[in-house]
Amino acid sequence: MFSWWRTMQESGGLWNSIKIIYRRSDLRVGTLVGEDANGNKYYENLRYQFGRHRFVDYKLKEFDASQVPPEWHGWLHYMTDNPPTKVPPVPRKFHAEHQANWTGTTKDYVPYSTTRPRIQSWIPPTNKQ
Amino acid sequence: MQNSFSSSKQLRLLFNSTCMNLKQHLSTSPVLCDKAYGGLRDQDRIFTNLYGRHDWHLKGAQARGDWYKTKEIIHKGADWIINEVKVSGLRGRGGAGFPSGLKWSFMNKPSEGRPKYLVVNADEGEPGTCKDREIMRHDPHKLVEGCLIAGKAMGARAAYIYIRGELYNEASNMQIAINEAYKAGLIGKNSCDSGYDFDIFMHRGAGAYICGEETALIESLEGKAGKPRLKPPFPADVGVFGCPTTVTNVETVAVAPEICRRGGAWFASFGRPKNHGTKLYCISGHVNNPCTVEEEMSIPLRELIERHAGGVRGGWDNLQGIIPGGSSVPVIPRSVCADVMMDFDALVEVNSGLGTAAVIVMDKSVDMILCIARLILFYKNESCGQCTPCREGTGWLNSMMYRFVEGKADPTEIDMMYELSKQIEGHTICALGDAAAWPVQGLIRHFRPEMEERIRRYREKNEQYASTMFS
Amino acid sequence: MLARALLRRVFLPRYNRSLSQSPRLLQVQEAPKLLSVWIDDKMVQVEPGTTVLQACAVAGVEIPRYCYHERLSVAGNCRMCLVEVEKSAKPIASCAMPVMEGMKVHPHSDISKRAREGVMEFLLVNHPLDCPICDQGGECDLQDQSMAFGSDRSRFVDNAFGGKRAVEDKEVGPLIKTIMTRCIHCTRCIRFAGEIAGVQDLGTTGRGGDMQVGTYVEKMFKSELSGNVIDLCPVGALTAKPYAFTYRSWELRRTESIDVLDGVGSNIVVNTRGEHVMRILPRLNESVNEEWISDKTRFAFDGLFAQRLTVPLARDATGQLRSCSWEDVLSRVSGKLVSIQNPANEVVGVAGALADCESMVCLKDLFNKLGSESLYSETPVHIGSCGNDLRSGYILRAGISALEEADLILLVGTNPRYEATLINARIRKGYIHNECEIAVIGPYMDLSYQHEHLGDDPAVFSGMIRGTHPFGKKFSRAAKPVIIVGEGVLARDDGAYINNQIYMLSRLSPVHGSDWKIVNYLHTTASQVGSMDIGYNTADLPDLSSTRLLYLLSADSVDVTRDQLPTDCLVVYQGHHGDKGAHIADVILPGAAYTEKEATYVNTEGRAQVTQAAVKPPGEARDDWSIIRALSEYAGHTLAYDNIDELRERMAEISPTLVNIDTKQDSCFHSLCVELLYRTSPKHKPYQTPISVKLNSLADFYMTDPISRASKTMAQCVQAVKQADKN
Repeated sequence: MFSWWRTMQESGGLWNSIKIIYRRSDLRVGTLVGEDANGNKYYENLRYQFGRHRFVDYKLKEFDASQVPPEWHGWLHYMTDNPPTKVPPVPRKFHAEHQANWTGTTKDYVPYSTTRPRIQSWIPPTNKQ
Repeated sequence: MQNSFSSSKQLRLLFNSTCMNLKQHLSTSPVLCDKAYGGLRDQDRIFTNLYGRHDWHLKGAQARGDWYKTKEIIHKGADWIINEVKVSGLRGRGGAGFPSGLKWSFMNKPSEGRPKYLVVNADEGEPGTCKDREIMRHDPHKLVEGCLIAGKAMGARAAYIYIRGELYNEASNMQIAINEAYKAGLIGKNSCDSGYDFDIFMHRGAGAYICGEETALIESLEGKAGKPRLKPPFPADVGVFGCPTTVTNVETVAVAPEICRRGGAWFASFGRPKNHGTKLYCISGHVNNPCTVEEEMSIPLRELIERHAGGVRGGWDNLQGIIPGGSSVPVIPRSVCADVMMDFDALVEVNSGLGTAAVIVMDKSVDMILCIARLILFYKNESCGQCTPCREGTGWLNSMMYRFVEGKADPTEIDMMYELSKQIEGHTICALGDAAAWPVQGLIRHFRPEMEERIRRYREKNEQYASTMFS
Repeated sequence: MLARALLRRVFLPRYNRSLSQSPRLLQVQEAPKLLSVWIDDKMVQVEPGTTVLQACAVAGVEIPRYCYHERLSVAGNCRMCLVEVEKSAKPIASCAMPVMEGMKVHPHSDISKRAREGVMEFLLVNHPLDCPICDQGGECDLQDQSMAFGSDRSRFVDNAFGGKRAVEDKEVGPLIKTIMTRCIHCTRCIRFAGEIAGVQDLGTTGRGGDMQVGTYVEKMFKSELSGNVIDLCPVGALTAKPYAFTYRSWELRRTESIDVLDGVGSNIVVNTRGEHVMRILPRLNESVNEEWISDKTRFAFDGLFAQRLTVPLARDATGQLRSCSWEDVLSRVSGKLVSIQNPANEVVGVAGALADCESMVCLKDLFNKLGSESLYSETPVHIGSCGNDLRSGYILRAGISALEEADLILLVGTNPRYEATLINARIRKGYIHNECEIAVIGPYMDLSYQHEHLGDDPAVFSGMIRGTHPFGKKFSRAAKPVIIVGEGVLARDDGAYINNQIYMLSRLSPVHGSDWKIVNYLHTTASQVGSMDIGYNTADLPDLSSTRLLYLLSADSVDVTRDQLPTDCLVVYQGHHGDKGAHIADVILPGAAYTEKEATYVNTEGRAQVTQAAVKPPGEARDDWSIIRALSEYAGHTLAYDNIDELRERMAEISPTLVNIDTKQDSCFHSLCVELLYRTSPKHKPYQTPISVKLNSLADFYMTDPISRASKTMAQCVQAVKQADKN
């Protein structure tokens, strides 16, 4: 078991550790396995319990699990042991660019009514002047 | 069979009173019949050219005594004519049997300016009936003169003869007779030189049975669809074109001149009390010699058939049943036919009616259920569709009747059909509902065992069907 | 409330007193001999001529019926009303049988019950059991009465053998949907068409079980009252086509209200589900519409869902109308109002056909506070010297219900069939039951009764007055003559002259000056009488070249174009539809339609009636009076009422008739009105132009106001009528 002291030290001191816990509710250290195009860093620490030994440190402050691109998703979820740094994914022509979830942004999806409004407003004629 | 037994018992309970009436009649009729009726002598016949053996034109008619002293009769006045008709005990010959003198006197209320009309109902459509057409074809002047006299009795301005559209020859003979009478000055302005103005118009119907009903006839005469009107107001108050009107049968009108000439008492000397006079009987069906004959009222049915129609085909024992008064009255079985008299009251006592005295004789070769079913089909077709029980009821009865013909029914449905016919009877605007209900009632009353037998046979043949349909 | 009640006390006694003391009411009529009838051992006394059914109703016994209807002739063909009467061999049809002295009726006896059960059974034999998909379901007489009077079990097994009757549906136009298999042949629709609507379009063909109700040959049932057959139909054979299958009757909430699409003020029930008007039905009011309404009243409500003004709009710098907030528009209008130096000439208000009394009072109070009196009613009314000072000079004084008593009616410049459908139905009622004669001055018209056409020349009156015209003599012989003057005369420039002539003609009548009211005016819009009561000017609109603010209160028929107005003139339109008024407006204040507000309207006979809010105004639209009240506050001339009760008190101050709801008050000072008319010679000489009428065809009738113009159903009707006329 890692002692909390060493973990804190490796995380960059007390203050940094508090900041990380504040952001992630968690404090872990490990070996950097790689970094994706968005700047998220992927770690592994085999000393943790199996199934909890791979983790990601998000680049953005407002992070979301959907920011993990698919090539890292497999490794991060223990589907494969080969990170894309070791075995790069085969490019396919149908691959789209990864896009994080838009919920909460201005681009998010809002359900709308597909029926006509029961009361239709008058649309003023467009100006001729 | 067990089933049929119990049902007929029910029926007997239901119509206890009917049976009692019948018994009473049978036991008392010999006492009432202190005199034998029938065997009308030739000199007492009113319709002397019923078979068209003589000239029906004005000359021939006058030779037979028509138009004799018509002027004098008119001059005696309306009250005298009505009184003679009252004394004669003449009852309407169209079926209902309403006392004619009384009916005509309704018209003699003080006038408030509207003209009055006599409408002669010559829309003879009752199946089995063929008396009015004989009068109009062979003795039209009897009717023309009758119109004048009945018109005078009511103070009518004109008479409309509403004749059934199918009666083409009759209509043309009638019209010729009217033209002759006009030409001879017998009707029209100053008819018979009596100072009384009277016109007669013919109107040919378009062939609907219901137009024989008086209010429907009035509607039809006014140019509307022949649908009976509600009564009250009665035609004597508001009739054709909104004026007081009396609608009478051809025969009733045609006998009036003879009554006036020979006196009411002469006419009253025929027939039982309240059923006086002579009457045209139309005998059709399984007799050796179908005919229309003038006979005395109250003639026993058997005598009528045997004397004039040559008896039932195959002998009296081959008789199954008789419809004594046109299709709308209930059928009576042989047992009743044996000694029933042909008049209004006697036939009502045996749960039938004189109707138009159209005697339809059916021997044992007849499928009685099919006969009645055919009659119901007729009424279904002729229902005007105005009021609910008749419009919907006749259709229902019809579909049931044809199932009974096959036997494709349930014995309990016999009682149900009887109830249905009671639901129609008396609940409609006019009498067509009653007319449609009565044949069914007559059938169930007298031929129930046959109906049950038919159902049993069908079930034997179609075991499967019986178990699924009515279980 | 207390204040209101007190106010009524103060204002009303005079009228009430005059009512109760009118000699007509005091006259003791000779009491007819009453007949005693026994209904179930309960004696009731009824007048001779009463039917057994009515006598039973007096005794509190309801007899089931299908074909019988109080306002139609008796057919007696459904046979549902059979009851047992002592000494009668058969049960009698109670709807047709008049009572006789000492008659003993047993409506609950076994014979009566069995007769009903039988009829009910027969009716159901051929009636489809499609209640779950029938629009009449839930309010169907057949359903209700089979529950109450029918048998509790079925014995109709013939269904398995032959099936039920099926009848082809008829196509009778865009309003009425027919499902003829459901018809029970009660003939109510036929009798309605023939007797009330005066259109002999419907009838029966065939006989017996094959009898069918229809139009003989397939054609449109062309009547302005056709929708009423939907209400009359006791089953679901005739249902409404425009809103078929949209509701079940038990889902609806009912709000009693008033129709405002013509000047009659028919009483209606607005049926709503949630915030949506589902249908409009008539409400019984013997003095106005009886129980009928016109097709426009019934079907034009779908116009309330289209072309609506739901947000305030204002023209931006480019001249484009854009939605904005209430604050923006109110401050813009008030800013303009305050900036005007000479409001007396420069601020003009026009009240339109659908304006209610509350908002007209508010607008008038606001304008008066600003110092302007330039308030005009949309339709000019030229009636001569007494103008709109005396009420008796501009309303249908006799009252709608009195028209059926008249024995001679002269229609001048009006076609009531299309301008006031239910008044026409009254005239027809008099024509049928009272042998009323009708004459017409105006163009040839297709009225639902026979009438004498006296030409369309305005000079015809002088002949009548001099006695050279035969109608003058006929008029002077009539015991109860009525002259109905319509917009065809009132809108003419020489209307005052013709009006004068009409009064001269009325003087020929022997009943002139008595209680019988000869001269009557028929207005075609719901706001007209109210606006005149409130004191809106009924002259033609003045020259608008110096106007700086034109306030259009629901005014959509007003004949104003931007060219007549100076460029800096602000046109404010307040209303609920984007119609003609909204097109020329700079600022649009969205108001509420008649189903969305509680508002007073005065009908052509001077009866004030109140609409009720059945639904909320859509979007940001608001009650009309509150918009003007808000505007007054923005403009710094706050009106002195904060709620509708206080506003009504103010209305009572202006005219107590405006708050005397649902009462037709006798108008007083009529003699003064007449004297004024005689003494002042009219300004105009008569023109040669023939007298016209506002609406003279069924196609015109359907679309007369912003609501009906927005209605799809009405557009379909117009199309159908044009198509039918072509064929």
